[in-house]
Amino acid sequence: MTDAIVAKGLRKAFGSRVAVDDLSFTLPKGRFLVVFGPNGAGKTTLLRMLSTLSRPSAGSANILGLDLIEDAQELRRHIGFISHAPMLYPALSASENLLFFARLQGVPNPQARVKDLLDAVELSHRSLDPVSTFSRGMLQRCSIARALLGDPELLLLDEPYSGLDLRAADIFDQLLSDHRADRSIVMVSHDLQHGYDLADQLLLMSRGKLLLSADKDDLPFDEFQHRFRAGAGMAVG
Amino acid sequence: MGFFEQYRVLLRKDLTREFRSKEMLSSMGIYALLVLVVYGAALSQTSKGLDILQMSGGLIWALIVFTSMLGLNRSFAFEKEQGCLEGILLAPIDRSTIFLSKATSNCLFLLVVELITVPLFAFFFLGGVTLAPSWPLIVFPLLLGSIGIAGVGTLLSTITLETRGKDVLLAVLFVPLLFPLVYACVAATTGCMVGSEGFMTTYLRSLLLAGGYDIIMLSLSWALYDFVISA
Repeated sequence: MTDAIVAKGLRKAFGSRVAVDDLSFTLPKGRFLVVFGPNGAGKTTLLRMLSTLSRPSAGSANILGLDLIEDAQELRRHIGFISHAPMLYPALSASENLLFFARLQGVPNPQARVKDLLDAVELSHRSLDPVSTFSRGMLQRCSIARALLGDPELLLLDEPYSGLDLRAADIFDQLLSDHRADRSIVMVSHDLQHGYDLADQLLLMSRGKLLLSADKDDLPFDEFQHRFRAGAGMAVG
Repeated sequence: MGFFEQYRVLLRKDLTREFRSKEMLSSMGIYALLVLVVYGAALSQTSKGLDILQMSGGLIWALIVFTSMLGLNRSFAFEKEQGCLEGILLAPIDRSTIFLSKATSNCLFLLVVELITVPLFAFFFLGGVTLAPSWPLIVFPLLLGSIGIAGVGTLLSTITLETRGKDVLLAVLFVPLLFPLVYACVAATTGCMVGSEGFMTTYLRSLLLAGGYDIIMLSLSWALYDFVISA
């Protein structure tokens, strides 16, 4: 199996509103896919489906050789997800939060793993403080550590740079480059230039539909930018 | 990691979080005390011939049911606030483990509140009456009732989690569904406190009904939880 994700006709509807419609794409293992699109394009819904948090209304996906619906529980062992919400308990410390999620994930030697990740996101000095005392950027860094706990083969990142200051963004860039070689990544981004720089593959969505799926090497940034603006204009119009 | 280890990890998190924030216990405790104050105002206007002992079971269970609704609403609210529930749902664990741990923590918090408010009820309202020697048997209906309330309430609070007007919806679903259990627990509680002749038959029959209700409803909730939380 050389593909990390093979999605076929994925669809998600909330009542009469269709958030994602007939979406098909393939992501080879070890590649970095960046999903672009205007607000309401269905990017977050797509990530939630791929993470098993939201069940597709139709279509299928094979992720890391596992069926998205049939093998959802096993699949969760191999996925790390960073969403808009930090998924951290405010009353617990950073260390307690990470230990809790590490134990749920079944991470071997959770204490050592938590310590390593807190070092990596430069939060060791605040590891015993309740996360309710953290700034937005610190919460996001702690959330990044949470997503990496199980050393996931597939990382799903929903605008992971939002709320990060320059230093935190550098730390995250470093973490991504350190871990990129041995994992597949799907990232939703609004930052065209930064997202394009990171990507191996590009996916452009609008109104739940796929407008463009391309290798970065086949699509220069100027042309991509032009296609994005045309797609965003269509969504607004 | 096995089922019991996952259950232990989830339960420990709930207890630690509550120990730190005291959100649920304090809100449930204060609400229960306020209900006792209202009881005080209501009962002070009644005639002296009123047999408060005959009403004690109903009053205690009204207090427990309404207090528990407050706690059940809170029990998932904090999980939603920072997306923590999604963090748990992303873990490779059986969804029914989440149900069992949450129902256990809800039951424990409810029992803690009962441990404070039921003696207070007796102190304020039953001071002038003689309780039957069988009154310590109140422990069993309290225990069975709390288990049932926590089990059914955990399922219903999950169902209503994403709905508009979830507080009202929880009450609308919760009270009718809980009626057989509350009826049985009121009968058993009143029976053991009054201790009239032949009370043991009614007491045991009521406990049997409450126990049967708990087994059926908890099994159903357990079986349905994956579907409910994934919907």
